[in-house]
Amino acid sequence: MTDGSRTTHAPCPGHLPPAASRRGFLRSTANGFGGLAFAALAAREAAGSGPLAAREPHFAPRARRVIFLCMQGGPSHVDTFDHKPRLAADAGRDAPAGAGRPGRATLLAPRWRFRPRGRSGLMISDLFPEVARRADDLCVINSMATDLPAHPQAFTQLHTGTTQFVRPSLGAWTLYGLGTVNENLPGFITINPPVAASRTYGSAFLPAIYQGTRLGGGLGGAFRRRGPAVTALADVQSPLFDRAEQRLQLDLVQDLNRSRLELDGGSSPEIEGAIEAAELAFRMQAEVPDVMDLSGESNHTEKLYGIGDGVTDAFGRQCLLARRFAEAGVRFVQVTHGTWDHHFNLGPALENACTQVDRPIAGLLEDLDERGLLDETLVIWGGEFGRTPHSQGTDGRDHNNRGFTIWMAGGGVKGGMRHGATDDHGYAAVEKRMHIHDWHATLLHLLGLDHERLTFRYAGRDFRLTDVHGEVAREILA
Amino acid sequence: MSHSRLASPRARHLPAVGLLIGVCLLTPGRVSAWTAEEIAAGRAHWAFQPPVDRPPPAVRDVAWPRTPIDRHLLAALEDAGIAPVADTDRATLIRRLAFDLTGLPPAPEEVRAFVADTSADALERVVEGYLASPRFGERWARHWLDVARYAESSGKDSNVPFPHAWRYRDYCIAAFNDDVPFDRFVREQIAGDLLDVRDEAEQARAIVATGFLALGPKGLADRDARQFRLDLVDEQIDVVSQSMLGLTLACARCHDHAFDPVNQHDYYALAGIFLSTDTLYGTHAQQRNLHPSTLLELPPAAGLPPAVADLSAADLARLERRVADLETAAEEMRREVAMEQREGGNPVTGFVRVRAARDRAATARVDRSLFRDDGSPRTLAMGALDRPVPVDSPLLARGELDQAGDLVPRGLVEVLCAPGEPRAIATGSGRLDLAYWIGSRDNPLTARVLVNRVWLKLMGRGLVTTPDNFGTMGMAPSHPALLDHLAVSFMDDGWSVKRLIRRIVTSRAYALSSVHHEANERIDPDNTLHWRMDRRRLDAEAIRDAMLAVSGALDETPFAGSLVARAQEDPFGLAQVIGQLRGGTFRHRSIYLPIIRDQIPEFLGVFDFPDASLVSGTRDATNVPSQVLFLLNNPETTALAEAFATRVGRLPGDAASRLDAAFEMALARPPQADERAALRRLHDAFITDQPRGADGARRALVAACQALLASAEFRSLN
Repeated sequence: MTDGSRTTHAPCPGHLPPAASRRGFLRSTANGFGGLAFAALAAREAAGSGPLAAREPHFAPRARRVIFLCMQGGPSHVDTFDHKPRLAADAGRDAPAGAGRPGRATLLAPRWRFRPRGRSGLMISDLFPEVARRADDLCVINSMATDLPAHPQAFTQLHTGTTQFVRPSLGAWTLYGLGTVNENLPGFITINPPVAASRTYGSAFLPAIYQGTRLGGGLGGAFRRRGPAVTALADVQSPLFDRAEQRLQLDLVQDLNRSRLELDGGSSPEIEGAIEAAELAFRMQAEVPDVMDLSGESNHTEKLYGIGDGVTDAFGRQCLLARRFAEAGVRFVQVTHGTWDHHFNLGPALENACTQVDRPIAGLLEDLDERGLLDETLVIWGGEFGRTPHSQGTDGRDHNNRGFTIWMAGGGVKGGMRHGATDDHGYAAVEKRMHIHDWHATLLHLLGLDHERLTFRYAGRDFRLTDVHGEVAREILA
Repeated sequence: MSHSRLASPRARHLPAVGLLIGVCLLTPGRVSAWTAEEIAAGRAHWAFQPPVDRPPPAVRDVAWPRTPIDRHLLAALEDAGIAPVADTDRATLIRRLAFDLTGLPPAPEEVRAFVADTSADALERVVEGYLASPRFGERWARHWLDVARYAESSGKDSNVPFPHAWRYRDYCIAAFNDDVPFDRFVREQIAGDLLDVRDEAEQARAIVATGFLALGPKGLADRDARQFRLDLVDEQIDVVSQSMLGLTLACARCHDHAFDPVNQHDYYALAGIFLSTDTLYGTHAQQRNLHPSTLLELPPAAGLPPAVADLSAADLARLERRVADLETAAEEMRREVAMEQREGGNPVTGFVRVRAARDRAATARVDRSLFRDDGSPRTLAMGALDRPVPVDSPLLARGELDQAGDLVPRGLVEVLCAPGEPRAIATGSGRLDLAYWIGSRDNPLTARVLVNRVWLKLMGRGLVTTPDNFGTMGMAPSHPALLDHLAVSFMDDGWSVKRLIRRIVTSRAYALSSVHHEANERIDPDNTLHWRMDRRRLDAEAIRDAMLAVSGALDETPFAGSLVARAQEDPFGLAQVIGQLRGGTFRHRSIYLPIIRDQIPEFLGVFDFPDASLVSGTRDATNVPSQVLFLLNNPETTALAEAFATRVGRLPGDAASRLDAAFEMALARPPQADERAALRRLHDAFITDQPRGADGARRALVAACQALLASAEFRSLN
């Protein structure tokens, strides 16, 4: 399924009343809220009047959807994707003035070898041998920068553009801008978000329908974790009633809702919202468990993602779920992996973290490619900041916000490419610096959205994801 | 108790004081601080002018208004050419009142009695009854707890439990039930330990109130002790200024304000006040908590309820044995690891193992320390006390510790004080000055902010739609004269919240229908002018409490203490608390549910419970599919539907009359013909479809009852 050929999802296209007469139509179907009424709801969305209806972007998009693999904690760039020969050469010397505590921090050489990979010869360290095989897909941005070297603020900025205010998340903006192409599923799903990070999938002042639906990673919400890795939709099945009985029950709920709507004078956004939510819930009940059921996947696919292998199994399943959601029409899928906060014990801990994600990520890229989805799916890898070139303690690195690395692949970016650079040791972006705002602007651009035109009026002001900043990095566009 | 002292309220006579705070924008290039002229000009902002109660404007339709509130609203409506819609029916009105005042639905007989009672004072009597009900405090305290970012754990990385936070919750419930004057309520929360009191009981109550300052979110794993302390102070400045003044003073931590005349100097003058305060939030030292603190112990004479039951002699002995065993185990672990180190073991894992063993022992010691030697529990509370020697804070450029400048004398914010008025603190921390300055008639913000919060909860939207921000970046009031009328009459009424609520709910405006009106909607689609009542979705607590009440499962007795207080203080304690809730056996009102930061009970989370780390004057009211799944499929709600069906099944009569009764219990009105028919359809389909032997009638009733609880009307207020 590709979005290009399928911008709407209406079950009975032959019987769609005009969206404008929807209220009258709802009132007229006094006996049961059956399939025709669903068709009417779908018609409304098809006609562009529903908040989730697929919408035309501002210009031709290069990517139709996003899978954001978010490495929470700040992965070390100088040990993975930012090759710094001078750092190895100067290892043991004092950190430059202004970096770290004077006289107490010394430059720490990366202990994993960087090698040229693929036809492009991108330098990637041995921490990512599998991802390295997809080097020619990667657009590695070495010149990322963010405002603050503190986790909560930087993590929030990565997802919302701001370090302190409650603002809509990247996924919510995307859904607001583009709508969704499968109304049986939430348009924005976040898998395994860290606790206390609801802002990373929140809608803030955007309508709540644009918030991410959480899968795993905590308690409450529509989804919750079951077991260490397997995730499932919560409350998907009645403990008492089968599906036919539940349809009868839902018909009663909707009859009562319609009756209330009539008592309210035929217009009530609250009741109408409730009617739509109930129908989407019923449809999700049927479709989401299927999308989340990995049992039909082939051995080949499972192997690709490292499913069944203890180290890679958990993240592999999450990546496979991400592909299944993307394939089923979810606009924005976010998968969080933590934690990359390696203040000490860097050697074993970083290697362990990389091993957990390396094969699953490579598998995801390969799988998307095999299915012809990679061209229009933007895959992103990165965390909230990088780590210092100097050591913290004997084997650790501290937070580094002035220069770090994020890479992207697929959906409209040039592969096998390096963009921007940090200084000799990897402290700060010195060439083609890409602040989070610039990165957000570029992401939206890839999705066909002009970050200056994607606005929402709130409290008398037009808000943007990029506030008053942001410059699209045109060099990386394919 | 040695903290009693005679307060000397500084009755500050503030002229048109002004403080402008809005969105916090960093302005790296700005070097000049705000000048005296700029500060003076900033005082023109409406919210910094003292409120004045002017006579309500004349209206053409003199018959419509019942109270001054109505005249203010009608005047604006008439200007816009809109007539208010009709009054709502009496059944809808009493349901509205019951939920708004007590958070619970009216029983069918209450509704029928009110519908039948046409006497002139029927409304007043119902309102008095609800205001006098202990359920009132449980409803309105929760609104304040949103604003006070109340929770029972530290949040952030460590999320260590605050087992004594519930005392502050109970303090708030009692304060609203007793109608403690709001200025007093404010002063107690800022400086209850310093206020003049009659006796130990009152003092204990006032000290518990200062828990307000202690129960904010804390990064207990932060490595830098000075940074931790500054962050704690910053959080206190933030919660005090947002909740009570509707201002975000904490913005000035890192830089002078971009637009508004607040300098960093002002911030650090305020910071000194809180740096001179000991914030006692409990918690003990462990691997994930580098900043433990003590608690306040209150005397038995204060008569406060215990958090946990007495320990028997045997249990006490068992607990002491556990402490001894774990201490021995910790010592053995230390020796074992030391031996391994000598043989080249991994120092990091060794350290972690020793630390974990010591933490287990420390936790057991804390569990033991909750009890006296006779097994009776000690009375502990979170709170604040003045430090013996007050300190001033240095000004930190960019808010950074390594850029400390000159000391700033403790004091109040310059622009809020009269020109030339001494702002410095003479004695003590300055919290008492701050308390009297905020809880004061001379403060133009305190009363306005509070009446707006109350109006918002009763009418669906604030007169100021940014209830936590009355600064220049906040929204201007839709009805400034009405806001001032409410603020002034509220203060004239002795800051009585109950009288304020009575004033609003006995207005004609409150009793309007919420029905759609095409012509009015074209002129004022958002109902800003209040030509009708806004339809509102009930908040999470009211939905859960109503489901419990309707199904006959509600336990109306206040829950003693909190599940968090009863849990172990180790990392598994909080997980156990959440596990306990899953069983659905907790049937007390929702305000007594454990509020653990980032682990909010599912029922509350599904229905938009706010972030318990932030000041939240408004709540989301979403309508999303997960709520429907929760209402139809969750074991907890399903069990309530079954209880509801059991209750209805015991009623006399036939299936049809039982369905009617269920409808009336759930929605506080009898069903209409089409609704009755829909219920009947479901019932008949279930009976017909059942395999032989299945209890079709029972299943039909459960399905119907659940549908009623899941209907949009059940969770909305019309």
